[in-house]
Amino acid sequence: MATDALYRTGLMAKHNTLLRLRDPGQLISYIVMPMLLMLVFKPLYVTALKSGTLQAVTGPLVMFSVFALSIVGNSIMVEREWRTWDRLRVTRSSRAELLLGKTLPAFVILLLQQCVLLIFGCLVIGLPVPPTMGWIMLAVAVWGFTLLALGSALATIVRSRGDLGMVSDLGAMLVSALGGALVPVSLMPAWAQHIAPASPGYWAMSLLRAAIGGDASGMVRPALVCLAIGLVCGAFATYRLSRGWGRSHLL
Amino acid sequence: MSLRTPAPPAGREDEPAPKALPVVGRGKARAGRAMLEVAGLSKRYGDVQALDGFDLTARPGEIVGLVGHNGAGKSTFVEIVSGLIRADSGTALIGGEEPAKARGRIGVSPQNIALYPPITVREHLKLFGGLSGLRRKALTDAIDELTAALRLTEFLDRPAGVLSGGQQRRTQAAVAMIHRPALLLLDEPTAGADPETRQALLDAVKLRAADGAAVVYTTHYLTELTELEATLAVAKRGRVVARGTSAQLLEGLPGEVRVTLADGTELHESTTDPTAALMRLLADTGQPVVSVDVRKPDLDDLYRSLAVLDGD
Repeated sequence: MATDALYRTGLMAKHNTLLRLRDPGQLISYIVMPMLLMLVFKPLYVTALKSGTLQAVTGPLVMFSVFALSIVGNSIMVEREWRTWDRLRVTRSSRAELLLGKTLPAFVILLLQQCVLLIFGCLVIGLPVPPTMGWIMLAVAVWGFTLLALGSALATIVRSRGDLGMVSDLGAMLVSALGGALVPVSLMPAWAQHIAPASPGYWAMSLLRAAIGGDASGMVRPALVCLAIGLVCGAFATYRLSRGWGRSHLL
Repeated sequence: MSLRTPAPPAGREDEPAPKALPVVGRGKARAGRAMLEVAGLSKRYGDVQALDGFDLTARPGEIVGLVGHNGAGKSTFVEIVSGLIRADSGTALIGGEEPAKARGRIGVSPQNIALYPPITVREHLKLFGGLSGLRRKALTDAIDELTAALRLTEFLDRPAGVLSGGQQRRTQAAVAMIHRPALLLLDEPTAGADPETRQALLDAVKLRAADGAAVVYTTHYLTELTELEATLAVAKRGRVVARGTSAQLLEGLPGEVRVTLADGTELHESTTDPTAALMRLLADTGQPVVSVDVRKPDLDDLYRSLAVLDGD
């Protein structure tokens, strides 16, 4: 039975990977655009800030990783547009298998995006190679999980792909700007500094900076906050997806 | 010209006549316990009572043609039996199990096309066959056999998004049938389909029923149900109001005789006795007759008769 479940989950993951590979535009753009921004903004950040290289890499990375939650959202939205989610729900697969098979490839994409950008940051932008790769992987995985859950939850409450695009674009700008991805929080207006911790981007920036600096104790609080956000959004998305869309505009 | 009040159809629910009729034809396959047992299903969406005491049974090998106007509750019934939504009350059992526990035994072809446009027909069948428990050779054989039956072989490696409407309809049905389900729910599978698609689908459905699958086939086309030798269940306002073979349900209903004269005048009469009606219509014409059309009673007549009797 467990083998069957594993097989079905793998089949779903393979199927969703295939869907992603046949429509790779978003992913390519969310990898290439931050690379260009890193190159363009590096001189500015290095001149203006003490840790300019770190800001030049982590800022676009966090910003475009938040943009990438629309990839997750879209992967769920298309099931609604194509009316295929209900077809899957009628098969022998359990909800857990379907959801795992659906989200696993998206999670890998989020990890891939962050890893590629970090490698680019080290090789091209001049970010020092982090002392402990394990902390980096942990930070990338925690933030990836948070984004996955956020994107999934978002896809279950918007009415259309247009809505999803609008919410994820505006949300990404807001979350990353408030989180200090464009300008360090310390340089932002007082009111913005005050509300910055309300943004998941703030905790992502803290988490990645701590991980790159090898500061394990500095990672704990932001990692816990990111995980908490991810768990709440993930539980919400799971609940909504397991019910299907029915005849509602929403789930 | 005369119009008669239609006679009550056979098998109406307010008559002592049977709701579940004696099984007709394909005797062996239909014997034994019903594969689908639905009793008293009710479902409300806001102000709309989609199902209101819906009853239906289907035995292995039996094809039940579920007919009714749009909004009669057919699709809601399919969604509940598929385990996609829950009924407010009533029971639905598939082989004695609740829909959620019987998923691997159900095949569903929904009313709307539900396919992945970038994915090929073969990839669809591998996915859904695999999720339903088919592996390796069994899966390959099932794909070969089914796509041949549905005349899809030459389109196997084309993405669903580039297929014609009819090819998509056949792919949709193939996805529902790939794992040889014990209960096949086909919700208007031939809607908008060309004659080739329609015939291929009907042939495949007959094959599945001959294999022992219970089939519930919703449609607006009586001719398809006649070809499938299906028993009929007529749904209206969320319940099954008549159940029987098409011959039983249409018995006593008037058809129509239509005579067109040389000056363009059309005479018509609803009748259960076409010969007598034709004689009457021709008796006083005094003009050459251009055409005579005798139409047997069909589903529309059945709907109309039910509406009249319900005071609609």
